[in-house]
Amino acid sequence: MRYTEFTPFDLWLLTQGLGVTIGLFLATSLLGVLIGVVWGVIRFYRVPVLTQLITFVSEILKNSPVLVQLFLVFFGFPGLLKMNVTPVTAALITLSANTAAFVYVIAVSAIESIGRDQIEAARVFGLTRWQVLRHVIAPQAAAFSIGPLTALLVNQLQVTSLISVIGVMDLAKIGANLNLRTLKPFIVWTAVGILYYLAAKLVAMLGSALEKRLRAHSAFRGL
Amino acid sequence: MLKVENVKKAFGDVIVLDGVNLTVSPGEVVSILGSSGSGKSTLIRCINGLEKLNDGRITVDDFDVSKPRDLAEARKRSGTVFQLFNLYPHMTALQNITLAPVEVLKRPKAEAEAEGRALLASVGLGDRADAYPSQLSGGQRQRVGICRALAMKPRYLLLDEVTSALDPEMTAEVLAILAKLATDGTTMLFVTHEIEFARQISDRIVFLEKGKLLVDLPAEQFFAPDGGLAQPRVAQFLSKMRKD
Repeated sequence: MRYTEFTPFDLWLLTQGLGVTIGLFLATSLLGVLIGVVWGVIRFYRVPVLTQLITFVSEILKNSPVLVQLFLVFFGFPGLLKMNVTPVTAALITLSANTAAFVYVIAVSAIESIGRDQIEAARVFGLTRWQVLRHVIAPQAAAFSIGPLTALLVNQLQVTSLISVIGVMDLAKIGANLNLRTLKPFIVWTAVGILYYLAAKLVAMLGSALEKRLRAHSAFRGL
Repeated sequence: MLKVENVKKAFGDVIVLDGVNLTVSPGEVVSILGSSGSGKSTLIRCINGLEKLNDGRITVDDFDVSKPRDLAEARKRSGTVFQLFNLYPHMTALQNITLAPVEVLKRPKAEAEAEGRALLASVGLGDRADAYPSQLSGGQRQRVGICRALAMKPRYLLLDEVTSALDPEMTAEVLAILAKLATDGTTMLFVTHEIEFARQISDRIVFLEKGKLLVDLPAEQFFAPDGGLAQPRVAQFLSKMRKD
């Protein structure tokens, strides 16, 4: 067997890379959703200063390339903060923050989509702001946001491939290495592409299954 | 005692309530009549604390709705039924009813549910407890809305044009329930366009015009030629409403 062959073992290597990709994706999505939702709640309570700060940070994160953010964290933070930033740490920080910025926007519009009349009813019956958020707004906002959130996460899954640039051994990085070794870009990148596709498809399917459950109360089943 | 004292409310330059005085004693049914835009709904929204007053005072059993510390207690004593039902669409009829008793009054869930089911049965919806609002007709939704308010055992029931989004048949469903509540001695402040019904169930009828309370009379006197009808504006309003 020559080292330029693309062998079944290489497929195994790729799935290992896929494991790293999915692991980072899950961790950063979880963190990002958590942070984004907390930001949304802070805005719901109209906390002064903090709300403006969050909106500002979210604007910057949304309107600059992820690659630039990644370089800033990986190359910029060690000098500035005198800390050691590993590629995985840099990836975790950057992707979580970037996801959070977009989740924040989704959370804000989801909260604002809930009819004022229901909120007034709940307030009149004596529910506190927190109880209104927890029992009236949150369940409906979750159902509202699951669609945009799924679309965002499918996109963020693809965005993880950027971290290969700073040396994280994810699916894209393994693909690049295999490509250098085998010099068979068509086969390698097709295999890599299919693996990304399958992972993204899985995220989308989980998202729509969850959406169906959360929208059980709606009688409207589409045209 | 529910007291509205010299209440003024403006939205920008538009004066909606212009020095309204009104007292509702326990056990009384008071109907508020008046044309659209006369300030009827705004008055209700001021009483349940959804709008801030520009001037004057509203107290529910001596709890001042303008004081944040009193508002919660005032709201526990009054229950509102809304024109457009304002149900929580993601909750079943029963959940709509039990949310506030469980969360605000801290009632045990099983107890609140048993009472909620009993309330639903009393308005003829015993078999619809697990239906979502989207699966109910307008009249059924409003009956759930009434149960939701009653579940809090309010001392004063505020009804804001509760039948104006319903067709005549559904209106009759809802009015039948209100008539029963009135005979049971429920205290009600009832904003409505159903003049004949108001006449039947009310102890007093007040007439609101351009933010001012023009007439405040016992129901029968309101319709007497030397009572409410002596006011040209009331006579005009009643004859127009009856023609429609």
